[in-house]
This record gives sequence, C-alpha cells and structure tokens, in this order.
Amino acid sequence: MKVKALLIAAGVGLGMLSSTAFAKGPEVVSGPGYEEACFKPWNAETKFFKWPAKPGPYKIALVNGFVANVWRIQMIQTAKAYAALPEVAKELKEFKVVSVGTDMAAQLGAVEDFINQGFDAVLIDPNTPTGWDRVIRLANQKGTVLVGFDNGIESKDIPAVAQDQIDLGKISGEWIVKNVGNKGKLLEVRGVAGTSVDNERHQGFRQVVEAPGNSFEVVEVVGNWAPGDSQKATADAIAAHGKFDGIFTQGGSNGTVQAFLDAGQPLVPMAGEGENLFRVQMAELQDKGLKGLSYGQSPAQVAIAMKAAIAALQGHPIPQLTSVPNPVVDYTTQKAGEDYFPELKGDFFAANAFPPCDIKFTAPQIMSQSGDNTK
Amino acid sequence: MKDLKLRITQNIGPILALILFLILYVFYSSLHPRGFTSDLFVQNSNEALTLILLGMAQTLPVLLGGIDLSVGPLMTLVNSLASHLVSGSAVEIVAGMIACLVVGALGGLLNGLIVVYGRLQPIVVTLATGAVFSGIALFLRPTPGGTVDPDLNWVATNALAELPATYGWWPNGSPAWFQFIQGIPMPIIILVVIVLVVWIPFRRSETGRACYAVGSNEGAAYMSGVKIERAKLAAYTLGGLFAGLAGLYFAIQTGSGNADPIQAGTYTLNSIAAVVIGGTSLFGGAGGVIGTIFGVAVLRSITFCFRVVDSDSAIGFLANPLLQPMFEGLILLLAVSIGAAGIFRMKNRLSIFR
Repeated sequence: MKVKALLIAAGVGLGMLSSTAFAKGPEVVSGPGYEEACFKPWNAETKFFKWPAKPGPYKIALVNGFVANVWRIQMIQTAKAYAALPEVAKELKEFKVVSVGTDMAAQLGAVEDFINQGFDAVLIDPNTPTGWDRVIRLANQKGTVLVGFDNGIESKDIPAVAQDQIDLGKISGEWIVKNVGNKGKLLEVRGVAGTSVDNERHQGFRQVVEAPGNSFEVVEVVGNWAPGDSQKATADAIAAHGKFDGIFTQGGSNGTVQAFLDAGQPLVPMAGEGENLFRVQMAELQDKGLKGLSYGQSPAQVAIAMKAAIAALQGHPIPQLTSVPNPVVDYTTQKAGEDYFPELKGDFFAANAFPPCDIKFTAPQIMSQSGDNTK
Repeated sequence: MKDLKLRITQNIGPILALILFLILYVFYSSLHPRGFTSDLFVQNSNEALTLILLGMAQTLPVLLGGIDLSVGPLMTLVNSLASHLVSGSAVEIVAGMIACLVVGALGGLLNGLIVVYGRLQPIVVTLATGAVFSGIALFLRPTPGGTVDPDLNWVATNALAELPATYGWWPNGSPAWFQFIQGIPMPIIILVVIVLVVWIPFRRSETGRACYAVGSNEGAAYMSGVKIERAKLAAYTLGGLFAGLAGLYFAIQTGSGNADPIQAGTYTLNSIAAVVIGGTSLFGGAGGVIGTIFGVAVLRSITFCFRVVDSDSAIGFLANPLLQPMFEGLILLLAVSIGAAGIFRMKNRLSIFR
C-alpha cells in the first residue's frame, strides 16, 4: 500500500515536471547568406537557416564520437585553440568537450543532455550520418542550434559543414591516371569499413579509374585510416601481388610508404591523406619515384563549425550544408613550414588553413593545446 | 529477519551496483540544471535501454558459466534488418518487429546448437558466429541508412504522455488517471514489461532453475537428472531474443540501421562489464538480469557525470575529454573489485579454484 502511494506520488511529480514548452526551429530563408566566401553553400538548391538573434556570450558544447586516433585528438585541440582566440573567447561563456566513444546511443544521449542543460549550440562530430531526427526535433523545440561536421549528417534539417568526399576520390584517381597512364596494377588502401567517408572516396576513385579507356587492375586492402594497419595491409599486398604501378590510400599514408621502403619495392605515384609525415616523405622521396598528391580532410573543420554556430546564434542566416574547399597539395606545390612541418616528429594533419574564414592554424598553435583542459 | 539477511547476502552484487548507481546518479542529477525532471529521466533511460537489453542478453550465457561474444554483432544484425522491415502500415510494422525478434532468437539458438551439439567452448563459437552476424549485417546495410517509422521513434523515446498524443487516442483530453503516470519515460515501461513478461516467468520455470544449476555445477546437475542440453539451448535462445530486442530498440531510437562493426564490439565489451558490475558471477550459477540492469545504470551514470562537471572547478580534470576513457576504466575496475571482495569471506582458500 505504502509502495503504491509512493509510486503515485512519483508519477504526479514526474507528470507535473515534464515540460510542455514549445519553441519552433529555425526559419528557412533563401540566400544570400552571411560571409558567403567562408560559408559557401553546397549547391544552388541549398537552403539557409535563420535563428532569432540571441545576446551573447554563449554556451557551446562539442560532442565527439570516438577519440582513439590522431585526427580526432587534433580536432579537439583545434577546437580549443579556436575557442581560446580572443575574438572567439569573448563570445563564449562556456565551451565544453565530451568524447562518447563509438556508441551511437551515448552520442545521441550526450547531445540531448546538453540541449536539456540549456546550451545554446552543440557541435557534433557524428558516429553515423543517420539517426539524428529525434534530437533535431528536440533541439528545434528548445531553440538549440546543432551543427554537424566531419562525417556529415544526412538529415536536411540540421546545418552542417562538410568536405566533398567523392571529389577527394576523384582528385586522387585523376592524379593516378595523369602519372601512371591508362593501364597497370593499382593498390587501393581503404578506410574503416561501413563508414560513408570510406564508401564515397572509394566510389569517386573507382569512377575515374574504371572510366572507359582505362584498364587498371585494382588490388583492394583495408588500412583503417591508421599507419600501423595500412603498413601491414600494404606489406601483405606486396607479398601477394608483387609490383604496383600506383597507389591510392585513404589514410595512414606514411605506413604504406614505409611498407614499400621495407620491402625494397620501387616507389610509385601515390595519392594519400594530409598526414604531415606523408608530406615529409613526398618532399624527401620524390626523386625515388614517389610522385605524391596529398589531400586533407581537415580537423580544422571544427573551427568553421563553431564559427557557423556563433553566426547562427547572432541571427545571421547560414547554409544548411556548407561546402569546405578541399585542401590539396602535390609534391611540386607544397611548401615547408606552411603545408608541412619537417621538424615535427609526431603524427599531425597538416591541412589547416581556410583563408576565406580567417582561420589559419600553425602546428605549434594546435600542439600547445595538447591534453589540457578547455579553460 | 534471518530470511532478510540471507536475501541480502545472496544479492550483494546487485545491491552494491544499486548503491553505486544511486551515488553517481544523485551527484549527476543535482549538478544538472534540469536535474530530477522527466526530461532528464527520458534522456537517460533512452541512452541506457539498448545496453540494458544487451546486458540482459549477455547475462544468460554467463549464468551458464560461458560468455557470448556475438551479442553485439547479433544486435547490429537485427538493427540492420529492422531498418528494412519496421516501416509502412501498422500491420507491416508489427510483422517487421516480430520478424526482428525471431531472427534474434534464431541467432541465439544457432549459438546454443553449436555449443551443445558441437561440444565447443562458447568463447570460440560466439567469436565465429559474431563475425558471421557482422558480415550479414554489413551485407544488409553496407552504409548506414534505412528508415524506421518516425511516430514509433517519437513514442518509444519519450515520456508516456506522447503515446496517446501521437496516435490521437483521446482527442478530448486525457483521463484523470493518466495524468498521474504520463511523465514516466517509455523506455522504463518497455523494460518493466520485458522483465515481467519474459524474465520473471523464465526465472521461475523449471528450465530457468536448470540454467542456474548447470552454471553452478554441471556435473551435479547432470547427476540430479537436470536436462542440461535443453537448459543451455533455452538460455542461448533467450539471450538471442534479448539481443534482438536491443537491436530493435536501437533501430527505433536512431530511426535507421547501421552495421558498424566497431560499435558492435564496443557494445559486446560493455555488456560483459555491465554483467560483472551487476554481480553475476563469471563462473556461472549466480546472479541475474536485475543486477545487470543496475550494472548498466552504473556504467552510463559514469559517462553522465562527465557532462555536468564544470571544467573550472577542483574536479575539472574529470571533464577532460582525453582522460574520460581512463576514468571510466578506473571506476569499472573499482566496481569489479568491490564485487569480487566476497572472496575474503571464503573459509577455505582452495574453494576459489573450485
């Protein structure tokens, strides 16, 4: 009897506390947007979102997925470095970062938690592109600005910042065709299976090398975007297939080069990611046949996402999908101290400059944020 | 009085997990701006339910003295399947949900058949079947996507109040009795129903008791005429059903399917951690899913706490994203050590190796 009374009391309490306040989401407007040079709409059909202006300073949270690779750590460091810039810091009351691991339920939960805590904006590096409808609906109810970046969120109801991954695959394919010719044996080192980035880069690459007129034999291995995995997968591929004429890797590029060196194989034209070590190899080994192209999925995207969130909170219209230009260099165009840093020993993603957004980070600026806390 | 004491000693694991959970959760909720409200409970229970169901799936093989490394992949498989089946008309949705649960149970049954009739160790069998399940899941969903009915998603992940509101049951306002319960989160209701309808009857059945007997001492159980093979098959099948429920809820929660093998691995490992924190013995024969539910609650509360700690405060280092996995691991280790403290009460040191 007592238990029953308690249960009813608890139920009443919960019922009364559940909120029924409804705010509406952003207004959908047509262009032109705010600072179009920086926030370039994905294409002509891209719509713009406009939230009512809020007075600053703002509480912003960053919800990262898993943290176990260099890219994600550098992304968090870049976010902190950007938040620490004086002109950004004055807009921020609080900047909070959490990493939830690979668990999607935990990531959805963290975003919802920050919405409940009354944060003004939440930046999301999503574990998966789908499954966000519920939190978007909630965020719109409570007037929270969500901004996705990196892998991209498929929903058209949330502003996002992204790089065109299919284009990255195409650029790589074109580089191979230009430097290898129309036939030969190619090595394709893929990323983490099942991710959209891996699939899109793969599609873009195959569109070019499998186009009519080309007859390549492509050997596919999985390197998981990690130097160790890539090195092992490449070594296995060399053992099984012998000579290659060209290489396309999605990441862990320096591991693939190392495997070729270890096997005593001649270096060949190669398109790879934006790791600093790979760019150093491109500079040092170009005479030995490593005609390298390095494209970058930049960790500094997070800074553009934060800039977009602040712009949205100030009441400026921002595109639903902002296209970040793909930073690409090759062995003839890259400059030491700007596009790569020979004195750095550690792993580092070197593509960090977005001039139209006034965003430019040097390696020391980012590395100084290592491990430390937000404030 | 003696009865109460006995009950407490028998359930010391789940009770410790419950206490640890309450400490962590009260800490979190009191620092949260919307602490102790329905919004918060809804969000927290949403985040926890999938792992709770998966922990329940893991509990059964562990009770037998085995382990199941395929629960995460099986969940992922059902999740991918649900993203194809659970949409359309009401009949299609219900049929799709039933199909998902059947596939989950069949996956568990397959594990059981190989373990029982192949006479192989569960750890190897489920490692292999897990890889197979992952492969099928990737075949069904090479890239994340698909759809699950949005209304179902909204109803299953909110407070009870949204159930009649979404389907328009009471256009003239809800009856008075409903006002009392409308703040209760749906995931909690789903969990209570599953425990009452599936677990409790199983636990009280002859087969359920046989599972405990087998896990506690298979030889003695055999000599007493317990139907060992039937008990094992039933336990693995029920484990598969729970994994299927986890996959189905995950699909409903995310409104889509995702065959990510890395996520499947994380879920498997977390399910084992939750079982251990919840007081189920890895040697088998003692524990149960109720403890596992609190085990998951502890695991999730640890992560909740990171989100409310102010980075300027004395314990601000807790909020450091790069150190969060380490703190999770340390607290896990602590919880497991407390759970293992029962070893000090053993009268004979040799009985540890029993």
